[in-house]
Amino acid sequence: MVKGHIINALGKPVRGAAVTVEGTGITTTTDRTGWYRLPGVAVGATLVVDAKGYQTGLGTIVGEDVDEIVLLTLDQATETITVTDTASAAQGGAKLERQEMERVAGTGNDLVRTLSAMPGVANFQLPLGYSGVVIRGSSPQDSKILVDDFEIPTLYHDIGFRSVIPTEAIEKLDYLPGGFDVAYGRAASGIVALTTRAGSAQRSDQAEVSVIDGGLIAQGSIDKDTTYMIGFRRSVIDLLLPHIIPASVDLSLTTVPRYYDEQFRIDHKFNDRWNLRLSSVGSDDALEIFTDKSQNADKRFFNRTRFARLTAALHYHDGPWTATFALSGMAQEFVFERGVAQFINIKQLPITARTEVVRTTPELAGLTDVAVRVGAEAAVTRYNVDIALPQERREGQPDGPDNPNDTSNRFNGIAYTPDFAVWTALQANLSPSIRATTAVRVDEFARINDFSIQPRGDITFKLTKQLSARLSSGSFVRPPEFQGELLATHVHPERSIQNIAGVTYEPAEGIRVQGSLYYTDRDQLLRYAPDGKSLLNDGRGTTYGAELLATLRSGPWFGFVSYSYSHSTRVDAPGQPSRLFDYDQPHSLNVALSWKRDKWQLGGRFQLYSGLPSTPVTGSIYNSDSNLYNPIYGAVNSDRAPIHHELDIRIDRYWKWGDLNMSWFLDVQNVYLDQSVVAYFYSYDYSQRAEFTSIPIIPSLGIRGQF
Amino acid sequence: MRGAWLVLLAGATGCLGDLDPAWQLDHDRIVAIRATPPHVVAGDPLVLDALMAHKGAPTDIESPTLAIVSPLAPKSLMGVRVARDGSDWTVTAPDDATLAAARTELMLDAGAPVPLEIGMTFGSGATPLVATKFVYFGDAVDNPAITNPLVDGAPPATALVIPPDLDVPLAVDADPTDKINWLTSCGTMHDADEIKAFVHVLPDDPMSGELAVVRRTAAGGVAFERWPIMTTIAGAGSGSGR
Repeated sequence: MVKGHIINALGKPVRGAAVTVEGTGITTTTDRTGWYRLPGVAVGATLVVDAKGYQTGLGTIVGEDVDEIVLLTLDQATETITVTDTASAAQGGAKLERQEMERVAGTGNDLVRTLSAMPGVANFQLPLGYSGVVIRGSSPQDSKILVDDFEIPTLYHDIGFRSVIPTEAIEKLDYLPGGFDVAYGRAASGIVALTTRAGSAQRSDQAEVSVIDGGLIAQGSIDKDTTYMIGFRRSVIDLLLPHIIPASVDLSLTTVPRYYDEQFRIDHKFNDRWNLRLSSVGSDDALEIFTDKSQNADKRFFNRTRFARLTAALHYHDGPWTATFALSGMAQEFVFERGVAQFINIKQLPITARTEVVRTTPELAGLTDVAVRVGAEAAVTRYNVDIALPQERREGQPDGPDNPNDTSNRFNGIAYTPDFAVWTALQANLSPSIRATTAVRVDEFARINDFSIQPRGDITFKLTKQLSARLSSGSFVRPPEFQGELLATHVHPERSIQNIAGVTYEPAEGIRVQGSLYYTDRDQLLRYAPDGKSLLNDGRGTTYGAELLATLRSGPWFGFVSYSYSHSTRVDAPGQPSRLFDYDQPHSLNVALSWKRDKWQLGGRFQLYSGLPSTPVTGSIYNSDSNLYNPIYGAVNSDRAPIHHELDIRIDRYWKWGDLNMSWFLDVQNVYLDQSVVAYFYSYDYSQRAEFTSIPIIPSLGIRGQF
Repeated sequence: MRGAWLVLLAGATGCLGDLDPAWQLDHDRIVAIRATPPHVVAGDPLVLDALMAHKGAPTDIESPTLAIVSPLAPKSLMGVRVARDGSDWTVTAPDDATLAAARTELMLDAGAPVPLEIGMTFGSGATPLVATKFVYFGDAVDNPAITNPLVDGAPPATALVIPPDLDVPLAVDADPTDKINWLTSCGTMHDADEIKAFVHVLPDDPMSGELAVVRRTAAGGVAFERWPIMTTIAGAGSGSGR
């Protein structure tokens, strides 16, 4: 149950105002004292307040008690920007609700894969070997994936193209492609923030199984102040895979690729001011494959990736004060073994403490709707690293000849990354139509004895009732803590300066169009020194682009159009030529529409996006001693895979079976079998090149029961 | 590591089916370069040649069309004599003083063999094949031999006849540190880089070709041997299938 108060500009309560939870049918009206109460509403939901004689007001649920929402009369000259959230949203960002994301075709009922439809996110057909999300042409490690405000190491399972958190365990997904708030750091590009789902007061259990995986989720209340949500999922595709791989292929699956994941969340309300959230996400992927039938040790691939993160967050809210105190820890292990020589064994143990205090006031020094935030974070991670690998490939470097005996990169030891951050932000309305944020974040990276001051700010103009514009600019850094960077001490963080201008237009209820232009300047980019081993910070890069996202929510219809244009280049060292980033994707278009009524839901999505750059091979030199051919490369990233396009469809059918609410879904990707090139493979001597094309069609059929 | 995943993916999906595998002899390539002998004492010469495979033609042993000291070689060895001697390319080990200077430059122990990388080209076409190989000065080591080769459990005859559509075992003696490569232009080679491999000729495969084995030692020694190979008409042969 949440409650709040609606007042007018004079501070008088507004009686009879309609308060609706956006995107749901939940609605109520205020009583004669201006108070309202809403049951079963999740944190993060948006409230829309309509009252006769007043302009529409908005609010965001941040806890049991919602901040006062001030309604302005229609005859007031301009519209005040209502404080809807204490954190500053990013221009070009999107807040995706679970109920809507479930409707996007081609995601295989996987909520996080909807990310690929967002403008600015690089879209590729095989998220293979990538643990994160590529935003605005940068690298996966430049963006962070957070669950309940804390980072997780990987977003996807190794197989099945599934995210590590099932849809049903996610309340919302905030996609922040750039210009994000000072509460977020250690990322030079964007943020993907997932919020786990709070259990509902009413008990419900749900089971779902598809050809990819199956899972259970249960939620309910332990007592009147405590709710829970617990989920578990296991892959199914590993049971099918041995039957799919042709017998003629030289493969022996001793541990068929499989995964597990778990989620739980407990919310407990101590009193009207304090509540506790305890949440956990975890994942375990394993596979063991021999690339021959005889299971020779030198043909063995073994991979195990597992992590479990536990977070406790204490929230305080009392009138103008809001505070969060959180402690989170994670245990992570990554093991990769290839043949008899190459291996990685990394155990990672990060402990993070984080707090943020917010004070709001209606007026301060001539400013209105003022929010002052102060936060701090201490993140200490211990890494146990034991590796024997080839020299690590860095941005722009081709994969090189595959030599399973190359262990030129060896390390066995322990590394620590003590990272500390403080931030503060002031948000206020400068006038009834202008709201501004000034903020600064300071990061201290103790391992490399480096600190970064990152000023950030934005200003929003409410031009008309339907149209607003926003400018933001800020500094962002990514510490050198990705893979082999951990072993380098005389390096600095990579930096970016992001400048974003955008407009948001809401011509009618349920229609929203947002567009943005951005320019990102990157410097201190890491690259290998001429010795091929140590790192230097003298790379530079720029990315510019334009993004458009239009959404429609009207009755049974939900749809969106997203398009992004991006150009992302980099100069590895002074005097070297400019080249494309590995993930430069000039064009990405997504058009999705779904219709839902009664027992049926139908949806479709069309995707079109540029292929990724690659570096061509122009020749090779045979090394007779190692019996390997060393490639001679052309200009870095001077080749590009062709454009890919596909149509995805989705059908959901709902029915009752006794007390059970049942549904099945059929989600089919690439229905017209477009097969475009994903990657090129070269023969052992580089004299021949083969195209690896996209999977022609990916059907996913599932059934779900809930009671 | 991404490369390793791509290799795994390519193998699992059969994507590499359009590419000639490394064991395929029906392909224009250098199979192995041999220095005879691979280690020579000061002042002695060694001869370079290579086992070459050709698309649509049998293998042969060729001399380089050009051989030079690698530009990456230590300065003290830049003057090593690499010259055509008749139809052969020879490399002559420098004198002891030069070798001593090279050991100092390379931080090698006294008396240790001194490696020198030789760059070579093979073939006379518009795009010659380029290769490198290390030779060693300061001691004397001979190339190994192909010892006790077995095809289908028996020493190979001059011309091999193997049964069709069966796994035909191949084996050769070698030290654990040696590297073995089996190659063929008739059938599919499995475990091609193992001491024990097997070849399988499907009905759609070429019915004849060549079988070859290459042995490389840690000291840079190389040996190879090849045999004409053909299979009998499907169903008519016998063999120890697996």
